[in-house]
Amino acid sequence: MRSLLFAALAAIPLAAGAQSSPYAGKTITIVVGYKAGGGYDAIARLLARHLPKHIPGKPTIIVQNMPGANSMIAANHVFSVAKSDGLTLGTFNRNLPIAQLTKVEGVKFDMRKFVWVGSAASEATILAIRSDLPYKTVEDLKKADKPIVIGATGPGANTYDFPLLLKDLLGLNLKIVSGYSSSADIMLAIERKEADGRAGSLTSIMPFIDRKLVRPIMRARAVEPGIEKLPVDEDLAPNPRAKAIMALRSAPEIIGRPYVMPPGTPEATANIMRKAFAETIADKDLIAEAKKAKMDLNYVGADEAQKVLKEMLEQPKDVVDEFSKYIKFGE
Amino acid sequence: MLAALFEGLALVLQWKPLLFMLIGIVVGFWVGLLPGLGGATTLALMLPFIYGMQPVEAFAFLLGMHAVVATTGDITSILFGVPGEATTAAIILDGHAMAKKGEAGRALGAALASSLIGAMIGAFALAAAVPVVRPLVLTFGSPELFMLAIVGLAFIASLSAQGARGMVRGFIVGGLGLLLAMVGQDPQAGIARFTLGTLYLWQGLDLVPVLVGLFAIPEIIDLAVRGTAIAGELPQGRLTKGALEGVKDAFRHIGLTIRCSLIGTFIGVMPGLGGSVAQWMAYGHASQSARTPEERRGFGAGDVRGVLGPGAACNSKEGGALIPTVAFGVPGSTAMAILLGGFFILGLVPGPDMLTTHLTVTFSMVWTIVLANVVTVAACFMFLDRLARLTAVPGHRLIPVILVLVFIGSYTANNQYADVLMTLVFGALGYLMVSAGWPRAPFVLGLVLGKIAENYLYISVARYEASWLARPVVLVLIALAVAVIAYPLIQQRRHARKAQHA
Repeated sequence: MRSLLFAALAAIPLAAGAQSSPYAGKTITIVVGYKAGGGYDAIARLLARHLPKHIPGKPTIIVQNMPGANSMIAANHVFSVAKSDGLTLGTFNRNLPIAQLTKVEGVKFDMRKFVWVGSAASEATILAIRSDLPYKTVEDLKKADKPIVIGATGPGANTYDFPLLLKDLLGLNLKIVSGYSSSADIMLAIERKEADGRAGSLTSIMPFIDRKLVRPIMRARAVEPGIEKLPVDEDLAPNPRAKAIMALRSAPEIIGRPYVMPPGTPEATANIMRKAFAETIADKDLIAEAKKAKMDLNYVGADEAQKVLKEMLEQPKDVVDEFSKYIKFGE
Repeated sequence: MLAALFEGLALVLQWKPLLFMLIGIVVGFWVGLLPGLGGATTLALMLPFIYGMQPVEAFAFLLGMHAVVATTGDITSILFGVPGEATTAAIILDGHAMAKKGEAGRALGAALASSLIGAMIGAFALAAAVPVVRPLVLTFGSPELFMLAIVGLAFIASLSAQGARGMVRGFIVGGLGLLLAMVGQDPQAGIARFTLGTLYLWQGLDLVPVLVGLFAIPEIIDLAVRGTAIAGELPQGRLTKGALEGVKDAFRHIGLTIRCSLIGTFIGVMPGLGGSVAQWMAYGHASQSARTPEERRGFGAGDVRGVLGPGAACNSKEGGALIPTVAFGVPGSTAMAILLGGFFILGLVPGPDMLTTHLTVTFSMVWTIVLANVVTVAACFMFLDRLARLTAVPGHRLIPVILVLVFIGSYTANNQYADVLMTLVFGALGYLMVSAGWPRAPFVLGLVLGKIAENYLYISVARYEASWLARPVVLVLIALAVAVIAYPLIQQRRHARKAQHA
C-alpha cells in the first residue's frame, strides 16, 4: 500500500510534463581518484559548482575524494560498486587505459565499458629546456655533445615517459633523472641548474615560459592553443613502430580529464549529462573562473573518447609488448 | 619597505579582511582540534570561496585558517595524546606526559606561548628573508637535501633514548622507519614494493593513520588499564594553575624557543622536506639541551622543553614555507601548493613581482599570520581552564569519545577501511614500543624522511655521480651528522670521568 503511494507520488512529476528530469531533488556524487587539492580535484570542484545550472531539475553535486593506487581504487569502485542510477560520476587518472593495456595487477575495470560522459580538457605535454642553454631545436638536442639532464617525477608520469621515448626512439641526447617529488620541485632544480629541462603539461610549465626560465622545444600529439607550431614527436618517428608507441603514450592526453558513469547507466540519463557537460564547459561564468585559475577546459565528447580508447586497447600484441618495455603505469 | 610593512598592516585591519580572517580562524580552530582532518585538505575546500575576493581578503581568509591549525592541533596532542595534526605529533611525547602528571595547564600554556613566539619569528623571517631567499634556496640542491635528511635522522636517533644502548635502539627503529617508507610504488622503476598485493599500499603508508595509531592507541590502552582520569587522582587545583607557569617557561627557555623557531623556519623554507619534519628536528634539538643523563631521562617523561621546541617550530615553519611559494612560485608543502592555486585565482603571479609591485600584499600575509596567532592564542587562554580540566574526567567517560575521534580521524585520510586497520596495526606496534622502552620519535622521522632520502640520494648520484660528496655544504652536513652522533657519547664519557674523580 505504502509503496503504491510512493509510486504514485513519484509518478506525479513525471506526469506533470515530458520535460521533468530524473535529477530533480537528487544528489550527484563526483568520485575523484585523488586527494583534495590536485588538478583532477580542482576541476571536479569547479564542475560541481557550475554543472547543476545545466542539468534539468538542478540536482546538488558533491565531490568525494577516493585516493589510492593512482586512482585505480576509485575506478574499480565506480566500475563495480557504484549504482548505475546516474547519480555517480567518476574522474580518474587519464593513464588508466595504459594500466588496462599493460595488464597491471589490480585493474578490475574495462575503460570501454564505462558509460562515458567525455573529457573536460585535453592536456598537452611539452618538453622545455632552460633558456640560457644553446639548444633551441630538436636537432640541437640530438647533437648535444653532453647529455641534457631532464628532471622527472617517476615512471607513469608525463615528466618521465615523454622524454624517455624521445631519448630511446628519436635519439635525443637526454639523461633522465627521476625522483623529484612534484613538477614544482623539478622547476626549482632547473632554477638551481641541477636539471637542464623537463617535460610536463603545458599548464604547469607555462608560468615559467612566461618568466623566460625555460623555452618550449617540442610537444606530443594533444594540442592546446598557442603551441600548434611546435614540432610533434610522432612526426619525427623513424619508423611506424616507434610512431605507434609514441601515439599510444600520448593518446590518453586527448581525453586528459576523463568523466565516466558506471556501466549500465541508462543512455537517456547519460545523454542529459553529456549535454550538460558540453553546455557547462562553454558557460561564460565557468570560463571566467577557469581562466583565473589557469585551467584551460575544452569538452571532448563521449564518441571521441570511445574512439581513442578503441584505438589504444585494440593494438596488436607485439606493439603492446614493445610499449610495455618503455612505459609503466603510475602517478 | 618600512612604508609597505605598515601599509600591509593597514590593509589587513580593514573590516572585510578582518572579518574573513576571523571566519578562517574559527574554521582552523576546529580543523586543528580534530585529528585526521588536515590543514591542506581544508585549504582545498576553502579555495572556491575566494573567487570574487580581493587578494588581501582572500589571504586573510586562507592563511587565517592555516596559521592556527598547528596551534590548536597542539591542544589535542597534549590533552589526549592523539595527534590533532600530522604536524603536531612530536609535542605528544612530553606534552601528554605532562598532562598525565597533572600539568596539562602548564603544558598548554607553554605550547601556546611557544606557538605564538614561533609564528612571530616565522612571519618576521618571511619579511626579513625577502632579499636573501633566492641564494639560500638555490644553495640547497638534491645532495644537500639528502644530507639534511641524514642529519635529522642522526639527530633524533642519537638523542631520543639514553646511553649507548638507547642510541642503538634509536638507530634500529629509525632504520625500521626508513624501511617502511619504501612501501609503495618506487619512483625510479615504477615497481610496486611491499604492497602485499593490495591497492591500498600503492601510495605508501599514509602518515595520518600511522601517527594516530602509534601515539593515540597506547595512550588509550594506558588510560583504560589505569582506570583513572588522564591526570590520575591528582587534586583538581593543580590543573589550571600552571598555564601562566607554562608561559613563563617559554621565556625561561627563550633561547631554545627562538632556536627551535629558526629551525622550523629553515625547514619550512626548504621545498621538498615537508611540513612534518620540522617538529622532530626541533624536538631533537630540545632534547640535546639536556646537560646531564638525569636531565635527559626527563625527556619523554614530561620536560617542558620537549613542548616548547616542537610548539615553536610547528608554527614558525608556515612563515618559512611561504617564502619559496611567494618568491619562486615553488610551494614548500602540500598546503602551500594549494595556496599557490589561490594566487592564480586572484590574478597574482608568484615571483619577483610579489616582492616589488605587490609587496604590500606579501606583507599583509605576514600580518595575517601574526594576527591570526594572537587571536587564537588569546581565545585559547580563555578556554584553557576548561580544556585542562578535561584531563580530570574519568577515563571510562573519555575513552569512547577519543576512540571515535581516533577512528574517524584516521578514516578521513583516504576514506578507506584499510586506514582504520593501519591505525590498529601501528597502535599495536606503538604499544609494544612504549612498554619495551623503545623510542617512537626516530621511527616516525625515518618514515617521514625515507622517501625524501631515497629520492634525493638517487638524484644526487644520477646527476653528479660521486662528486656530490665533495660539495661544501654536503661536507659541512656530514661533519654535523658525525658530531651529532658522537656528542652524546663524549658527553657521557666526560660525565662518567667526572663522577670517578669525585
